[in-house]
Amino acid sequence: MDKLFVIAIGGTGMRCLESFTHLCGIGMFDNQEIEVLTLDTDQNNGNKGRVEELIGLYNRIKTSGTTLNGGTPNANTFFSAKLNLHRFWTNYAGAGRENYKNLSKISTGSPEQQKANKLISDLFLDTSSVQEFALDHGYRAQTHLGSMLMYHGIVEAARNLLKGSAVQSQERELDSFMGKLEKAGASARVFIFGSVFGGTGASAIPVIPKAMQDFVKIRSNGNASIDFSKAKFGSTLLTEYFTFNKPDAQQKSSKANSVIADSSFFPLNSQAALQFYQSDPTVQKCYKLLYHIGWPIESKKIDDNNTSNQTITGGSEQKNACHVTELLCACAAYDFFTRTNGFDGAKADYLYKAVEFKDNSFNFSFDDFIGKENKAGEIFVNKLGAFFSLAHISLTVNGAAFDDSGIKGFITRCEKQKLAQYSTITDAECKDINEYFKLFTYSFKDAKFVPGWLYQVRNSVAPGKFLFDSKAFPDNQAELRKLDVGTIFLDEKHHWSKGGIFGNRYDTFVEKLINTHPKEEQKVNTTKEKFLAHIFNALTISQNFDIN
Amino acid sequence: MEAYIITLLTALIFLLLSALIANAIKFEGGSNPKDPQSRKTWFWILAILNPALAFLMGYFVFMPDANMMIVNNYVSALSMGTAIGFVLYILLGFILSKVFANGKIGHWF
Repeated sequence: MDKLFVIAIGGTGMRCLESFTHLCGIGMFDNQEIEVLTLDTDQNNGNKGRVEELIGLYNRIKTSGTTLNGGTPNANTFFSAKLNLHRFWTNYAGAGRENYKNLSKISTGSPEQQKANKLISDLFLDTSSVQEFALDHGYRAQTHLGSMLMYHGIVEAARNLLKGSAVQSQERELDSFMGKLEKAGASARVFIFGSVFGGTGASAIPVIPKAMQDFVKIRSNGNASIDFSKAKFGSTLLTEYFTFNKPDAQQKSSKANSVIADSSFFPLNSQAALQFYQSDPTVQKCYKLLYHIGWPIESKKIDDNNTSNQTITGGSEQKNACHVTELLCACAAYDFFTRTNGFDGAKADYLYKAVEFKDNSFNFSFDDFIGKENKAGEIFVNKLGAFFSLAHISLTVNGAAFDDSGIKGFITRCEKQKLAQYSTITDAECKDINEYFKLFTYSFKDAKFVPGWLYQVRNSVAPGKFLFDSKAFPDNQAELRKLDVGTIFLDEKHHWSKGGIFGNRYDTFVEKLINTHPKEEQKVNTTKEKFLAHIFNALTISQNFDIN
Repeated sequence: MEAYIITLLTALIFLLLSALIANAIKFEGGSNPKDPQSRKTWFWILAILNPALAFLMGYFVFMPDANMMIVNNYVSALSMGTAIGFVLYILLGFILSKVFANGKIGHWF
């Protein structure tokens, strides 16, 4: 079994990683321990913070006891993969590191060196804008600068680690990730999330494999390397799918903001990037598979709530809603990690597929995400459906969204049915699970409905079909309380049984919960793992699936 | 004999009714579900109604039209049967509750 690595780069990469984490949450990566690296220039980016918080929550749910170790891999249950998070960001915060001009020390050395430095910089990079904008909000669609600086950031970290002095925490985390990658050798599968139309992701995708190879070489003093003929690198080629406010002249008046990404150029950026990747020998040599993912209709605006006429360039405010293309990127990672062929070519292979487009909207079915091979589509239906049902049971039926007990309600129910084996699960552990469901599905903040990941993804497809019945997505308390959690599927054969004359669907589910138990092949050890596996089995039976 | 049959049948019918009510009460969610208490309450309401109804039915509906000695014997048997029916209802309820401890009727005890 290959060792799996995921690298998320830039704001879009982080949102793809968010979708990937949710795929792990629903249990799509059984028996896997996955190394995750978040890579950004913007340490405080809202999307980055959100996904790191999500993975932290995931790991707390996986952990039992006081040591936060992220638990162990399981099978056929929720949260089955173990995720190890590593964070690296290029440091543009300190004095002399704010922009390209300062970072590259153009004005140091002998007069001749300074002249040569300036000439070569001016040749590639616009003097007053590109060389002087603030780098801490990313590369702002200046990919020629970004590729160079991302490579520099990674190589600089290797040099600092080799020297061993003033090593920063993010450099140690990168070292830990790279150490595992080096150790995995030819059995490493590395998948990279990022866009090709923006700044950081588009800058990094072409150079990351090479930068990693050089990191390993420098770190090992030339004794080790990454062999691109054996290592399996894959990536998304995610083209434009959103737009945002155009920056006004006032915002661009300062040096730090002299360059701001303009979303009207994203289609052009995408075309240029695709042409470049197609002809660049490094990209063609390093990558085995490239997944071409796009949104071939009008891009959605992501900052409707931003009334300031200013572009949000980055920072903690940049928390964009999730989009179905990001879920498709996560599904591309699933394909890359589970496929058994396609890694032998000398050049990168491009993969893509189409989705039904009717009445000016896309209609997504389960098979559009991870295909049909080896019952994959059916497994996806079952697991996503089970997790969505459980989220609704926790938030809606057991009231976690309205400050009631949520998942603790299940433990109470088990106790009421004289099943006391889960009573040791603490309130704090239940709260973590509830919080995850809120991020996955929905929550209320100051009585205002806040859509979670799945609602956001579904909203990006609306009015087209998206996997579940539209009735499964109510967005007000009155309709939520009326929701029948056993009828979320479009296909009625997956609805929970109604039971007898006096029964209802939730009753039949609880009866199945009482009569099932975790199985040995699910590899669950702790009480919490057994509890989640137990619920997973009851939901699977209720949904009329037999995949165990 | 008739009095015993009436009271025993009534006890069994009430036990069946109690089980039906227990199953008809839906599982509730949340931190403090009320459904277990509802099932228990209904079990004890029927436990009290069972002897009352058995005795009243036996007395007013099935009382034999015969001499005083037969009527006295009947009333005596009816009283005894009512007591036995009450105990039987609770005893069978307890046994069923323990046999199906994880189900809805497990909430009776």
